[in-house]
Amino acid sequence: MYVLLTNLARMRRRIGLTRQPPASCAIRHVDAGSCNGCEHELIAAGGPRYDLARYGFAITASPRHADVLLVTGPITTRMLEPLRRAYASMPEPRLVAALGDCPLGGGVTAHPHEVAGPLDAVLPVDIRIPGCPPSPDRIAEALREGLAGLPRERRPW
Amino acid sequence: MPEPLRIPADAWRDHLAHDPDAFAGLFAAAGPDGAPEVRAVLVGDAVRIVATPAVDGVVPSVVDLLPAADWDEREATDLYGVRFAGHEPHRALVHHPDDRALWATPVEGRDVHRVPVGPIHAGIIESGHFLFHVVGERVLHVDARLFHKHRGLERAAEGRSPDAALRVLSRACAGCAVTNAVAFCAAVEDAEGRAPDEAVRRYRTLLIELERIWNHLNDVAQICAGVGLTPGTMAFAELKERAQRVCAALTGHRFMFDAVTLAGAPADPGEAARRDAAAEVTDIAAEAAATARQLLFDTSLRDRTTGPGVVDAPTARSLGVVGPAARAAGLAADSRTAATHLWYPEFAPALPPTPHGDVSARLEARWVELNQSAAIAMALLGEPIGPGAVHAADEGDGHGVGIAESPRGRTVCTVELAAGAVRRVHLRTGSYANWPAVALAATRAILPDFPLVNKSFELCYACVDR
Ligand code: SF4
Repeated sequence: MYVLLTNLARMRRRIGLTRQPPASCAIRHVDAGSCNGCEHELIAAGGPRYDLARYGFAITASPRHADVLLVTGPITTRMLEPLRRAYASMPEPRLVAALGDCPLGGGVTAHPHEVAGPLDAVLPVDIRIPGCPPSPDRIAEALREGLAGLPRERRPW
Repeated sequence: MPEPLRIPADAWRDHLAHDPDAFAGLFAAAGPDGAPEVRAVLVGDAVRIVATPAVDGVVPSVVDLLPAADWDEREATDLYGVRFAGHEPHRALVHHPDDRALWATPVEGRDVHRVPVGPIHAGIIESGHFLFHVVGERVLHVDARLFHKHRGLERAAEGRSPDAALRVLSRACAGCAVTNAVAFCAAVEDAEGRAPDEAVRRYRTLLIELERIWNHLNDVAQICAGVGLTPGTMAFAELKERAQRVCAALTGHRFMFDAVTLAGAPADPGEAARRDAAAEVTDIAAEAAATARQLLFDTSLRDRTTGPGVVDAPTARSLGVVGPAARAAGLAADSRTAATHLWYPEFAPALPPTPHGDVSARLEARWVELNQSAAIAMALLGEPIGPGAVHAADEGDGHGVGIAESPRGRTVCTVELAAGAVRRVHLRTGSYANWPAVALAATRAILPDFPLVNKSFELCYACVDR
């Protein structure tokens, strides 16, 4: 275990991530029919290489204390209701982000009967993160840019 | 491949029961005259497709003879309206009726209660619903209600040219993107009577093994996460990241999307690029082995992983379990042994040292296979990996089966081509074959261990739901 931790610390020193002034933003992720690529990159964004937490982003277990609903996938008919419920249980002010080409209407070519998307057709979208999938550093950047571009009263901090 | 062997309904059960181990999935399709039929893929000494007509929409069920056919039959009923005589009551699988009686198993008794979980989970996880029937912490039964991510991809691909259909299916699943694409291409080539040249076989094999490497690294990270062992999770997440960078360096994409095509293999990336990739793969494998040794001494990990979620060899065999989960139960099953359309000279399945079928055995299976895949990848990177072509023979219509071993096990793709377009495509991935075993394994663990048992299989929802 000691060796493991030492290796990790060394790797973190070597890649030399920059730090930011503290902020906080709680994100709830909902998979609405992704291929799992966007999830893999979102997990990687939170991993040791990219460290989403250094910008104050945290993935929360519940939408009830989330600032941002981060949605992947083309919005399958079977995920429409759970997605709406997750959104309904968020406190105001709440933001919606589309992660990947799928919720933006590109990405996968689904059968039209099986999808209710794009996300725009279902919820008001504030932040768009294109890519198939967007790379982990692009996810972090796009979230920061998206939040910075919002009017003061809509930002979570 | 010729037309499927058409079998009368009254001989269907006997035909499939003849060699139960050969069963590799069944699905509904429109027969030559447009009337519905059910087709099964049998993988024995040879690969065959057999079919039987749905007489008045009904086919004799084989689920009592071949438990592995359970999900296939339920899916065919939901999506194509074929009923299976003897498979009653029908429990919805792809469809999601509100009434629980229509999809869940009734479990009654003193102190039995139900714990519904999902489809949205606490972490960054794919969507799927589990209904646990429990007494205290003991799990009596689990109904896995997947297909929340059903995108109708097979139907979306049908009617398109093989190239366009490949683009649709290549977004079924990121974790198995290469394997699914190779299985589809192999099926199309089988149908058209074409064969990939040696360069294409080597190129596709390399990509499949790189896919297995990053997936297995990911799976070990996830198992560590399942016991809350963050240093292990982070160490393997970092190794997965490095492996994905190798994939990106060789194919231009971290998940190697669209790198496998029906056209063949692109030009060789050059000796320097191959040498760098080989060096990095060697280093990743060495570091994974060293980190694994660290984890071996971690008693909290050993305590949690030893014992729960056993799927033993007889169970694995009857449920048609494939991939690392089958090998962790001691079955020397690996479709790479017969993959003549790929490049596996002198391949032998690698079994973990203690194949007891528990979480620990499935973890060890990943370690053993990581080394094996790294060795195959390094050998392939030693020589040019392109360009390559798929030789045309009698291009045309027909049926084809393509098989490839994904990180989760044997993936079988069946294609029917007519007038240059895909008339029917069916993709049965390693995850599809293994999900019923996860539900069973859950009953051999306490409820709080389910996330760990689930992660020890680390199956996709995306390519099951399609
Ligand atoms: S955008 Fe691309 S990577 Fe993301 S879920 Fe859709 S198909 Fe997958």
